[in-house]
Amino acid sequence: MDSADDAGPNSVFPSSVQPDQQNPSVSERIDDRLKRVSLVDTDALPGDAPPPAPHAIDVDSHAGVNGVLDARSGSEGNDKREEDGGEAPGDVLLPQLVGAEHAFEVTRSSSDAGLRDNFEIEVEEPSSPSSSGYAGERGSSNATTSTGIEEVGEDEIVEADAADSSVWTPGKRHVDEDDGSISWRKRKKHFFVLSHSGKPIYSRYGDEHRLAGFSATLQAIISFVQNGGDRVNFVRAGNHQVVFLVKGPIYLVCISCTEEPYEALKGQLELLYGQMLLILTRSVNRCFERNPKFDMTPLLGGTDAVFSSLIHSFSWNPATFLHAYTCLPLAYPTRQAAGAILQDVADSGVLFAILMCRHKVISLVGAQKSSLHPDDMLLLANFVLSSESFRTSESFSPICLPRYNPMAFLYAYVHYLDVDTYLVLLTTSSDSFYHLKDCRIRIETVLLKSNVLSEVQKSVLDGGLHVDDLPVDSSTSGSLSPHLGQDRSIPGSPDRSLSGIGGPGGLWHFIYRSIYLDQYVSSDFSSPINSPKQQKRLYRAYQKLYASMHSRETGPYKTQFRRDENSVLLCWITQDFELYAAFDPLADKALAIKICNRVCQWVRDIENEIFLLGASPFSW
Amino acid sequence: MPARRRTLLKVIILGDSGVGKTSLMNQYVNKKFSNQYKATIGADFLTKEVQFEDRLFTLQIWDTAGQERFQSLGVAFYRGADCCVLVYDVNVMKSFDNLNNWREEFLIQASPSDPENFPFVVLGNKVDIDGGNSRVVSEKKARAWCASKGNIPYFETSAKEGLNVEEAFQCIAKNALKSGEEEEIYLPDTIDVGSSSQQRPSSSGCEC
Repeated sequence: MDSADDAGPNSVFPSSVQPDQQNPSVSERIDDRLKRVSLVDTDALPGDAPPPAPHAIDVDSHAGVNGVLDARSGSEGNDKREEDGGEAPGDVLLPQLVGAEHAFEVTRSSSDAGLRDNFEIEVEEPSSPSSSGYAGERGSSNATTSTGIEEVGEDEIVEADAADSSVWTPGKRHVDEDDGSISWRKRKKHFFVLSHSGKPIYSRYGDEHRLAGFSATLQAIISFVQNGGDRVNFVRAGNHQVVFLVKGPIYLVCISCTEEPYEALKGQLELLYGQMLLILTRSVNRCFERNPKFDMTPLLGGTDAVFSSLIHSFSWNPATFLHAYTCLPLAYPTRQAAGAILQDVADSGVLFAILMCRHKVISLVGAQKSSLHPDDMLLLANFVLSSESFRTSESFSPICLPRYNPMAFLYAYVHYLDVDTYLVLLTTSSDSFYHLKDCRIRIETVLLKSNVLSEVQKSVLDGGLHVDDLPVDSSTSGSLSPHLGQDRSIPGSPDRSLSGIGGPGGLWHFIYRSIYLDQYVSSDFSSPINSPKQQKRLYRAYQKLYASMHSRETGPYKTQFRRDENSVLLCWITQDFELYAAFDPLADKALAIKICNRVCQWVRDIENEIFLLGASPFSW
Repeated sequence: MPARRRTLLKVIILGDSGVGKTSLMNQYVNKKFSNQYKATIGADFLTKEVQFEDRLFTLQIWDTAGQERFQSLGVAFYRGADCCVLVYDVNVMKSFDNLNNWREEFLIQASPSDPENFPFVVLGNKVDIDGGNSRVVSEKKARAWCASKGNIPYFETSAKEGLNVEEAFQCIAKNALKSGEEEEIYLPDTIDVGSSSQQRPSSSGCEC
């Protein structure tokens, strides 16, 4: 790690990755960052008004809460009821920004047994004025129950085989099917891409040409509505949802009975379109303008695996809905060493230099003022990982980063340094293959010399964060994450006895997304979330939670607490981060809140190992 | 998207209601005929794979409704068609007279790049009826009209007996294929970082 010492965290990456663009002002962002944030359970301080709380909100009316439920009742309408031995009335979930101008609270359901069900939701709106203190009772009167998340179940003929990412292989399957096949009709989730004249471009299942009639039908529906000066967003038919996305002459359609929220499916179609742009750029539109008959399938020849792998990632990769990337956990000096050499080549005319291990970033830098959008990174990584030919030799390929510039190609030099680790160098010049090759040789030499590659392999073997490694007490959390270079077998916390399985306090899993870094970290799956089916169910639950937290109609919200027969989900959003946590369905709420605070503290304590810091000029 | 290049041809079938558009398509695709009349609502879509000169291609057949109330669907349906089939009933003069309207309507709505040479095929259907005794449009008259419109290929068909149906669609495919022959050149830009004219979508929010 010879190059790590002389480069401070800020000097290494002067101007690469963009911080979150929604935050309006930089200074504000940094100010927020300086505040301590914690989620407080006010059971501990009953009757106390929270400390300075100019904006304390409570959601106390049935209408308020049901409004939230109703907004997504299409998909959640059927959560199974379960008799739940009522909890103490009126405990309050009170997250607060200590010493800051925001404090808010939400109450959960009262003990009114008639209204109790196992499906609790608490939501609060950040902006409605209200007094602090106890917020009245509310009940979830969500009467219907859904097979919603259960969808992952037995009858799934499709994705069962695809659920385990370790055995999943990309590529088109079931090409012998068409819309007349029973098996085709039973598939849970279809994706179609077609041209504005109704010619098929891509179908997840079945042969595109044999689906020409089906494709024509989709175009007829879209065009018919378009003719009326309107736009069709989605159609619900029984338990199927048909979601449409029109991108100029290219139409994208998802037909799904997975009960995923509309926003999630639309986001997936956007990514599918982005993947197409990555391969072709938006210049294809011109071909359609000149010739509506234009058939773009030949241009996409051989890319089936890219699309099928992207679609597969919609059921396991949180980056697809979080719009953030994740890093491979590495000791800070190791990541610095990698960043320093990447910076070195970036200064020599490389637009972006990205070192990745599978879907995780080791380090990345950008030249000039360029920044890389997390969605572009996702699409680029998917393109590289799903195209077998990159693994066999160094490659130079035109690619387009749709969020960077959808109209034009960049050129990507791609080289695998070992079986999982690959380097992508992006340039604007089509004749710089040999220059980039030289850059790669330099980078590879440095990485080998400074042991970065062996550290990377070690990290892959060690895995990521484990919920059972959550520090027992925040007072001890100054230490590094236990498994990073240290003994990982610390004794379980006392809290563990409360749940028996999983992490402390019944914590099963969490995802922490740093808003200003555009990065997230998610804990490794561990008992009891063992099977691919359970993992997918949790993934879908997070996805739904994300959509409801960010819903334009009903949100955005700052906290949400949900209990159903599968799990307890807790989401907490501040200006700095979003935390999604899953607990045992019987987890104690006050304790869950405490655990969430601990998770946040833990993440902050080890942030220089799990995040790429200094990639943004505004971070520290 | 297999390695072997396949072509998909979009074929629109137009004509007055009741001239036998759906029956022709059914005879061609499914080798079936029914005497029962079922009005098409909006449009029906059928797919047929065809071999032609060692090439495999797919016909995507848009069987439209003949009733006037469906004509507002035009633009939506006609866009990007590779061939247009005009059908009339040799026993109904009005259906023949209307061919001109159908053709013009199509050219207006689909606005093909080269309307003069857009491939049409005309089919005079139901020649089997009454042994041909009830026919009111002579073959000569039909051929004359076709010739005046740029030598449109003409076939006399019977969907019921399967007469000339295969031949007609072979010709349709051949003409559609011919019109699709000119290749589009696809030439994307490359980013020039040096110039400041880089287009950035607002969503990327790159301002730093």
